[in-house]
This record gives sequence, C-alpha cells and structure tokens, in this order.
Amino acid sequence: MGQRKRAAIRDSLANQIMDGITLGHQDSPKHNICMVSDFFYPNMGGVESHIYQLSQCLIERGHKVIIVTHAYGNRKGIRYLTNALKVYYLPLQVMYNQSTATTCFHSLPLLRCVFVRERITVVHAHSSFSAMAHDSLFHAKTMGLNTVFTDHSLFGFADVSSVLTNKLLTVSLCDTSHIICVSYTSKENTVLRAALDPEIVSVIPNAVDPTDFTPDPSQRDDSKITIVVISRLVYRKGIDLLGGIIPELCLKYPQLHFLIGGEGPKRIVLEEVREKYQLHDRVRLLGALEHKDVRNVLIQGHIFLNTSLTEAFCMAIVEGASCGLQVVSTRVGGIPEVLPKELITLCEPTVSSLCEGLEMVIARQRAGTVPPPATIHSRVRTLYTWRNVAERTEKVYDRVAKETVQPLHRRLHRLQAHCGPVAGCIFAFIAVLDFLFLLLLQWLVPDSVIDLAVDASGPHALWKRSGNRKHSV
Amino acid sequence: MGADSGPGAPSAVPWRKVLYERQPFPDNYVDRRFLEELRRNVRVRHYRYWGVVREAGLVAQQLSCVAAFLTLWWYMDQSQLSPSTLLMAGLLFALLGYGLYEALGASRGGGRTRLADLQSAAIFLAFTFGFSPVLKTLTESVSTDTVYAMSAMMLLAHLVSFPYAQPSPPGSLSLNAALFASVCLASRLPGALHTFAMLTCALLVFALWPCLLHRLRDRAPWGFPWAAALVSLGSVAGLASLSPGGALLLAVALLTLTLLCPLLLVRLQRHKDNIHGPWDEAEIHEDLSHFLQ
Repeated sequence: MGQRKRAAIRDSLANQIMDGITLGHQDSPKHNICMVSDFFYPNMGGVESHIYQLSQCLIERGHKVIIVTHAYGNRKGIRYLTNALKVYYLPLQVMYNQSTATTCFHSLPLLRCVFVRERITVVHAHSSFSAMAHDSLFHAKTMGLNTVFTDHSLFGFADVSSVLTNKLLTVSLCDTSHIICVSYTSKENTVLRAALDPEIVSVIPNAVDPTDFTPDPSQRDDSKITIVVISRLVYRKGIDLLGGIIPELCLKYPQLHFLIGGEGPKRIVLEEVREKYQLHDRVRLLGALEHKDVRNVLIQGHIFLNTSLTEAFCMAIVEGASCGLQVVSTRVGGIPEVLPKELITLCEPTVSSLCEGLEMVIARQRAGTVPPPATIHSRVRTLYTWRNVAERTEKVYDRVAKETVQPLHRRLHRLQAHCGPVAGCIFAFIAVLDFLFLLLLQWLVPDSVIDLAVDASGPHALWKRSGNRKHSV
Repeated sequence: MGADSGPGAPSAVPWRKVLYERQPFPDNYVDRRFLEELRRNVRVRHYRYWGVVREAGLVAQQLSCVAAFLTLWWYMDQSQLSPSTLLMAGLLFALLGYGLYEALGASRGGGRTRLADLQSAAIFLAFTFGFSPVLKTLTESVSTDTVYAMSAMMLLAHLVSFPYAQPSPPGSLSLNAALFASVCLASRLPGALHTFAMLTCALLVFALWPCLLHRLRDRAPWGFPWAAALVSLGSVAGLASLSPGGALLLAVALLTLTLLCPLLLVRLQRHKDNIHGPWDEAEIHEDLSHFLQ
C-alpha cells in the first residue's frame, strides 16, 4: 500500500520534472546539482567558501542545488542554509585531515540514496584531496550520472607520494565528463597529472565577494607603514621567508609594522624572530582569524604581503587588493594570472627579492604616489564575481548534460586503455564490482521505492526565496 | 565565454594567460602556448658508465667484507684457524692500515693525537678481553638456528643501511647491526679467546676499514678501485677454499653489482621523464637559520 502511494507521488513529481524540462527549453535547462566534497562548513577555507558561494549563485539562477559532505562532530543529518540550500552531513568515517576513508564501495548505498531521492542529474565533486569527492564521481558514473570535477590545488611530480596520488587522479578523472580548474597554471598541472584531453578542462577562476572587502582608510595609522600577512602559518605559505624579511626590513625602516593573522606550526619561527630582535611592539601575531574578521585586519594595513611557495589561485591577494592595499607576492603557480601588473608587485621566492619588492612599494607609499584605496577597490571589484563564476559553471553543466555517460563496457575499455595495464585492470575490476553492488542495492531497494524529497531549491522549490510566488505552490 | 562556444571562436586578439581580463575565448580554449613553460629533465645528472662502476665497487667490496668475515668465522668455528694467528694478522693489518691512514692524512684535523688513538684502542681491547667470557655465554640459552638467523638478518641490515655515499664514519645503524651479528656469531665459537679475536676482527672489518677506504677514495683515487678489487678477489678466494659453489655465487653477485647494475642505470636513464613547470612548489635555497642565531 505504502509502495503504491510512493509510486503515485513519484509519478506526479516525474511529471513536474518533465514540465520543468519543457519549460526550461524556453531559456536554459535547469539542472539538479549535487556538490560533493569532504570540505564544507564548519570547516573553513577556500574550497568551502567556493562551494557555498557557487551554490548560492546557482540557486539564484534557478537550479536545484544540494551539498553532500561528511558529518562534522555533532553536525550530522540534513541541514538547511540560506536560501534553502540543503546540506547532507553523511555518517562517514574521517581518516586524515578531514578527509574520509575510502574503500571504493562503502559510500555507495548512502550516496545512491541521496542521488535518487534528490533526482540528481549532475554530480559536481570538489578538491582532489577529498576521498569522498572521488568516491562520489566513481559511483555517479556507475549510476549513469553526469560528472564534473573542480580541482583547487597544484601538485608536483617529483616525489613518491605525488606519483601515487597522480595515478589515483588519472583513474578518477579518466571518464569524468568535464573538469574545472581555477587558473591556467592549474589547468596545465591537472592535464599533465591526469593525462587528460585539455578540451574537457575549463578554467573558471575563484571569486571574492567585493562587498565583504571594502576599503576604509580611516582605520589605518598613516604615521607608520603596516604590512599585513594573512595566511595559515605553514611551510607551503613561505613563513620561513617571512621570518627572514621581518628583521631585514624592521632594521631599515623604524616606522614599519607587521600584522600577521593566522595560526600554524610555523608560528614558532615568527615568535623566535620577534624575540631575538625585540620586535614585540612592531610585529603583532593575531592568531587564527574568523572569516568575518579578515577585513577588519586588512583595512589596518598599507601593504599586503603573500609569501606562498605554491598557489593555484590565491584568493588572499584579491581580498587584499579589494581592501585597497598594495599587494606584494611571490611569483609562483597561478599568482601572475590573478591581478593586473599595476595592482601587484611580483617577486622571486627569496628573502632578497621580496625585500626589494617591499622596499620599492614602501618608497612609493612614502612618496604618496600609490593610488587611493577606493580606486584600487573599484578596479578589483569587477574582476572576480561569484555571479560570473556561476554563469560559466552553468555553461559547463549545459555542455555536460548534452553528453551521454559512457556505458559500462566503454568505461572499462577506457580505464584499461588510459590508466596503464596494471592500475587500469585493477580499477576496471573495481568498477565491475561497484556495478554489481549497485545491482544488488537496486534489487534490495528498487529506485521506485525510495521516497523522493521535496525540492528546497530549483524550479519546483516549495520554499520560495521571495514571497511573490508563494501562492502558486 | 562559455564552455560550449566551441574552439572556433574569433581570435583577432591573441590569447593571454591572465584571469583578470574577460577574453573572447571559451573557458576550455586551448592555446598554442598551452604548456609552453613545461620543462623536462631540468636537473638530471648524466652518468658515465665507468664512473658508476667505480662507485658500485664500494657496494661490492662491502659485500665482500661480509663474506670474508663469515669465512674467517667458519674457519674459527671449525678450529682450523687459531685465535692467536687471527690476532697476529689483525695486529699486522691494523698497524699497516694505521700507517697508511696517517700517510694519506696530510693534516691532522680534529685534534686527535696518536696517544688518544692508542688510548681508545687499549680501552676497547681491554674491555673486550675482559668481557669475552661473558659474551661467550651470552646466547647459550638461545638456539643456534635463532642465532644464525639473527646474524643473517643483521648482516643484511648492515649491507642495506651502510652509508655508501659517505662511508666515514660508518653509520650508527649499519655499524651496530654488524657488531650485533658479530657478537651473536662469536658467542658460538669454542673458546673465550676465540670470541675476543673474532670481535677485534669485526671491529677492524666493519668500523676501521671503511674509514681507511674513505680516506683512500679522497686522497688517492687511483688506489681505491685496486683496494676494492683486492678485497673482492680475496673474499672470493677465501670462500672458494670452503665451498666452490658459494664462491661462484659470490663472484656472480659481485660482477652483477659492479658491471651489470651500472649498465642498467646508464641505459634506463634515457627513459627518465621529469616534469617541471610553474606549478612546482618553490624551494627555499637560502640559509635562513642565520636570522635566528
């Protein structure tokens, strides 16, 4: 009885979807998108805010978006965020660095349930460090769904760990429909790592919300020059270089101050430098900052310094420039692509080169030849917007939706041809097992029996953002 | 702008590798300049065959040292070699080696005098001699098979962990593994004097000989291959007197190590494909520690 009722609801919903598709033909088709990543709120970082902002803009454009991540402590089950953005916190075991463990199979029942309940058409996975993202790509392909992957980071080729992870990435991406990278350098890197056809890799940069990062020159003390550094204090962010720059410049310029936000294992280096050169009043370590406090720190400075040793996009320098600061950065990874020459001073990743660059900017700052913060802000505010990112990502979804997902035999062939004789065969075998597991699950709990969730966002959303269409539902 | 605009977009303006400008190309556009900053095999060392053979000689001679030590132990165990003969020979070689070491070392750095050397030697000999009855009975409660297996493992560990690039001073793990194996083996010998002789011999072979060899390689490079060849030949000859089959195996292993493996290394070097580009993590080459001192 219950099953029949469910089937009836399902039929009516299916009709609605058909309506949606026919309606959609008038402007652009609407997708049911599932964002998957291990990294999401309450964790904070570039990937997390990217997923959130992109989802919000896609909802604004009329798509249905849900997010799937793993449970964070007490935060589990289903939560709703702003604009009825639905987030599934799945009970999966976290292994290392907030990334879940993977067995290639154990997440299939849960993910299948989510995909079927939410009538997902496109699975969009984020970050190559997330095991859950790779798992979901694997299962989505087994279930015949379209897949998109966004790579947020750069990786080398020289050591054993990168050889292994690159092999896994090759396997994971070899039959993914489309890949998005955040910069051209990142695209070159991903194409090489996963041996991809560059035609299926799009470059869509990250964005910054310009209204969050507005300048306020009244907050800074113009009797001194303040250099702001905001980053995690880890080796990859070049904190050792910073430890060399601070004494060099502080001895030369008595009115120079450093404001350092962020926490990490390299904090000890900065503390030692501060101790040895007695700079307690001039070098302030603020510790970990919340996202909302970043702007309040940025506007106190004149110069933003970034000493990263590797970076795919670097949102921090855009945030710094958006607050009207002069940006000095190392020339690594995708950083030269991010800001036009007049807004950034690029240096080699050495203490001497960075000091030179900083001294040049300090001289300009003293001479008063730098453009006012408001001018810089107005220049930066239009460069990277989330609306633009969503628009371009939507085009990727449209393209992907037109493609057919490879059937199993073609997929096995592709795995074997593309991933080498050993890894290819192993993963082809795993793909077959995954398919058999899916058949078993479909026999145990047929798709028709699974309850369909009501849409919280998208064309048939029950919760409208504005009240004007409330009566139509 | 979009991914589906197709690659045939108008290209009146050349594509630029920048993100801050909206360019009239689709997002998945692939320019001719794609991957132009890719560099292959930037810091690859080109090996010359005989240079590698020379370095591989060190590995071969270390293996020979282990074989020679085991041969001596076998003769001792069978009582075909008296401990006094071994001690006399050891003393002779030690004096010869010390003389050579001094002759090669132009300047005496580190402030060690001959008296200090003599003192160390005397302390070591006295203690080993005093403790040799204890060492002799050390493994009595352990079965002989276990002792042999343990020694084999330890000698293997010695060979694997030996610091071939910088043999002097011998690495602590490799030296300790070798001495542990020596103590195990020496404790199976018939008498306390045998144990003492065997342990001094182990010290000569595993601790002092690598130091001499290192100095030889530094100061008299022409002599080093000869020394390595002499040790290898000696060990093969010694083993041949025990078991011709074993000697043949050792000879094959030594030839493979010195001639075949370098050939493989040089040949396979062609297939090396290291990729470098702007995505590589920058390396800090400067010494930043002086800021903290």
